[in-house]
Amino acid sequence: MTAAVEAEVGRARRRKEDARLITGRTRWTDNLTLPGMLHLAILRSPVAHARIAAVDTSAAEAMPGVLAVLTGVDLAKEQGSMGCAWPVTPDMAAPQHPAMAVDTVRYAGEAVALVVAASAYQARDALDAIDVEYADLPVVLDVTRALAADSPLVHPEFGSNRCATWVFDSAEAGTGGETAPAIADAEVVLRRRFRQQRIIPAFMEPRSVLVDPTGDQVTMWSATQVPHILRMMLAATLGLPEHKLRVIAPDVGGGFGGKLQVTPEEVLVLLAARRLGRPVKYTETRSDSMLSCHHGRDQFQDLTLAARPDGTITALEVELLADLGAYLGLLTPGIPLLGAFMFNGIYRIPAYRFTCTSVFTNKMYTDAVRGAGRPEATFGIERMMDELAAELGLDPLEVRRRNWIGHEQFPFTTVAGLTYDSGNYEAATDRATELFDYQGLRREQARRREQDDPTLLGIGVSTYTEMCGIAPSKVLGSLSFGAGGWEHAAIRMLPTGKVEVVTGSSPHGQGHETAWSQIVADRLGVPFEDVEVLHGDTQISPRGMDTYGSRSLAVGGVAVLLAADRVLDKARPVAAHLLGCAAEDLDFAAGRFTARGTENGVSIQEVTGAVFAAHDLPDGFEPNLDAQATFDPENFSFPHGTHLCAVEVDTETGAVKIRSYVCVDDVGTVVNPLIVDGQVHGGVVHGIAQALFEEASYDELGNLTTGTFADYLLPTAADLPHLVTDRTVTPATSNPLGAKGVGESGTIAATPAVVNAVVDAVRHLGVTDIEMPCTPQRVWRAIGGGA
Amino acid sequence: MDFLIPSTFAEALAIKAERPEVVPIAGGTDVMVELNFDHRRPTALLDLTRIAELTEWAPSENLLRVGAGVPYVRIIDELGDRLPGLAMASRTVGSPQIRNRGTVGGNLGAASPAGDTHPVLLACDAQVEVASVRGTRMIPAAEFYLGVKRNALEPDELIAAVHLAPAAAPQQFSKVGTRNAMVIAVCSFAVALHPEQGRVGAAVGSAAPTPRRALAAEEFLAGELSDAGLWESPKPLLDSVRRRFGELAAEAASPIDDVRGTAAYRRHALAVLARRTLGWAWQDYCGTGETRSQSCA
Repeated sequence: MTAAVEAEVGRARRRKEDARLITGRTRWTDNLTLPGMLHLAILRSPVAHARIAAVDTSAAEAMPGVLAVLTGVDLAKEQGSMGCAWPVTPDMAAPQHPAMAVDTVRYAGEAVALVVAASAYQARDALDAIDVEYADLPVVLDVTRALAADSPLVHPEFGSNRCATWVFDSAEAGTGGETAPAIADAEVVLRRRFRQQRIIPAFMEPRSVLVDPTGDQVTMWSATQVPHILRMMLAATLGLPEHKLRVIAPDVGGGFGGKLQVTPEEVLVLLAARRLGRPVKYTETRSDSMLSCHHGRDQFQDLTLAARPDGTITALEVELLADLGAYLGLLTPGIPLLGAFMFNGIYRIPAYRFTCTSVFTNKMYTDAVRGAGRPEATFGIERMMDELAAELGLDPLEVRRRNWIGHEQFPFTTVAGLTYDSGNYEAATDRATELFDYQGLRREQARRREQDDPTLLGIGVSTYTEMCGIAPSKVLGSLSFGAGGWEHAAIRMLPTGKVEVVTGSSPHGQGHETAWSQIVADRLGVPFEDVEVLHGDTQISPRGMDTYGSRSLAVGGVAVLLAADRVLDKARPVAAHLLGCAAEDLDFAAGRFTARGTENGVSIQEVTGAVFAAHDLPDGFEPNLDAQATFDPENFSFPHGTHLCAVEVDTETGAVKIRSYVCVDDVGTVVNPLIVDGQVHGGVVHGIAQALFEEASYDELGNLTTGTFADYLLPTAADLPHLVTDRTVTPATSNPLGAKGVGESGTIAATPAVVNAVVDAVRHLGVTDIEMPCTPQRVWRAIGGGA
Repeated sequence: MDFLIPSTFAEALAIKAERPEVVPIAGGTDVMVELNFDHRRPTALLDLTRIAELTEWAPSENLLRVGAGVPYVRIIDELGDRLPGLAMASRTVGSPQIRNRGTVGGNLGAASPAGDTHPVLLACDAQVEVASVRGTRMIPAAEFYLGVKRNALEPDELIAAVHLAPAAAPQQFSKVGTRNAMVIAVCSFAVALHPEQGRVGAAVGSAAPTPRRALAAEEFLAGELSDAGLWESPKPLLDSVRRRFGELAAEAASPIDDVRGTAAYRRHALAVLARRTLGWAWQDYCGTGETRSQSCA
């Protein structure tokens, strides 16, 4: 008999990978040391825009331990141009993007030279001996000024700093009406400009790359979210034969989108290792990371919302001005466009127009950071819903109720053209208001105002949905994205009945090994402990599209499930043969095939053993139970939920304290509640951080002024409330697990909930917006404190 | 770089006399940041962590002598009742890990205008005991801070201890930061009541090139308190008195605009902090309020 009795899916299993991750007994890339390994350090530009007039490397070359000093000129022929996989429009300006600057630097932090030395310290010390002469060029940092005719140009060859303009119009798409007449006719028109500040992903493990060129094949270890994409893109960028390149993502310590990139550092380490014929490693310092890991967000949002006096929305127009920074990373120009499908949120909006103008500036390029386009959009619409409520004197929950899609209306095709398969916004909101004591807090808010309490209470609402589980390949194709959105899995049945699961998803902290084991243990009826999950190595897991966009469970997990079903399909005729009955007469439960109506049975392990031995199998049966599956989802998954936040605002200092936070999320079927709670906690904290703490700032010369954790503020436990989490469960209909993504939903939901709460606290003082992060000084200034 | 590990203070002083350029390191919470950023490359570090006598505190005449190497966590745990202001400031330093390592001596040695304990040392009339092979001298805290990250130590001197009177009356410390913990203060303020002297100590931090006493605020309040006989028969302070005290405290600062805050905001916030901390301390003195341990505004 098998040991698996209690259902694994839905069980709060502690994560099997945690012991080694938490205690550091694992192979982080920087822990790897190969025989003869050298160390690489990168000299980064201290100026934001300049011509490289001269580089003198002679002193550095003479330093102890130094084996090579290479500049952009040295690598110009072989380094190619970093790839951008998302040409969003046919006329998009796609500049050359050298891994190392050859003649011009375009942002502070851009690589200008590298040193390879016997030790990391020798390499670092030699950087100081490299003499670079910069001829300064005028700098453009302000995205609004970058489009002026007389602006300095980041890439003069395009004659403008505009990268692309991308438009979605519901009238043109046939998904809704025209916005212009709806706005002209509207009795209520609200216009707001919101700022999405630039943020830095700030993963815990700095990026690290090790390349071994010594064999017939080049092997790269990288702290990346995307080993498969990395291999393909390196082959394309450098002209390497793909089959001569193996990429391994060992255990990876967080990414938040920041490791969804093919980086200049990966290219440079590979080129240096190949030149020197020895393994070379680069591990960034935190300071390097803040400068040179791609940043996120950074856009202005001009929103126009038209409504009837009862709060019914009649049209929405969105104009984005997106700051891309100096170059295009892997997905840079597409990230703001992911918001195009989300600005309509959970609402029935009859007419919608979205325009995004993306612009180059002399800053680090932006790309995916947790949520990637969707947090920005959700912020915009959820802030507007609170503004509409205030304008009409309605409760913010009421104005949402009047506009949201009713649970009986699913599947619902939105004005942005997506079909939401399922949801129940009423249920999540009812549960959240109950847990939050919404009415009680409203009464306290009124009391404090009446009593002129210097500490005011604010309540913020965010009823979000998001599109994740990226993505149906045909949808990606329609958006000009350069790849599909499927995921692959394989299951290998070992002779002793143990199971290896090979996944194309590439975990960097999410807990795939645990969740995948639970899925397989349930489906095959084997003990949880008998399942091993293999990932992150293109040689072990040759097919994969990796981990981002809350896709792993809803796409990769489903592939695992389908592969398990195929194992059972293969095992069934063998079991029937062994039991002497017809395959149709078999039942399968708890890991055991039984001849229906009898006690005669055989376990999956016994079948596996019989197939391994191959002594007594049905005629013509190929002795192999292994199976693979590739799942291409028919639709995105649409988690949703209601987040409610109460803040206390000290009107004298401007300090904001989160008093309580309730989130009720609907992520469909939950495989592991502990993992889901962890993702929600981390996501909400990330969203709170954008609302209150985090901002990447540049000074007027283009120097990053928030290049350390003393200046770039991540929240600490002392800054955070107890998070009250609960769930409703409306399974997704677009995949057989019923699962929706959860890795980004907290981040998407939380930021507007917090800012809505801060604005709500001081709205009676005439405040309609406070730019993020809502620092004490900004709040004080907003309420009329002063400069 | 040499890493020198004396086991006695006398040995450390001998080294410092011979090699005045060595950089003393205790908790390392400031020094290591500078080394990590390559802001300085000292020829030698002088490790003070093995010197037992620096990690001790004891009564000394009417004062408490706190060794320069006593970490913040011990000030909080062991001296919180006698040095409440210093303990409050210590609680706001860094994270638990930093408070296990960092020391008041290090705060003084670094003499950053944003050092959390400085306003308390000023408000409490602390004396800094510094030593060299030439002998020992006492420097009043008010004369210790000379400029941004500059203090009154001679090149051959090391900080041995700080001397503070056990609190005879309430003390308060508060700061404003963009985050609650592990953040460089936008501004900070400390107040200490000295009924036996008929005066209060008040000082601002993070709002001038050095931490500094708010002398006009001190004098104003001393006058108000004695004129009204409030030391002997405490009554709640008039709101106007607290506000004026706040204004005068803010005037003591000469803040700048920087990434953490504008000068205008710092002045404003200092006035709020001063008014509030005075309010809390006086409430305690009157015995009417609950004792507050809150330290963040």
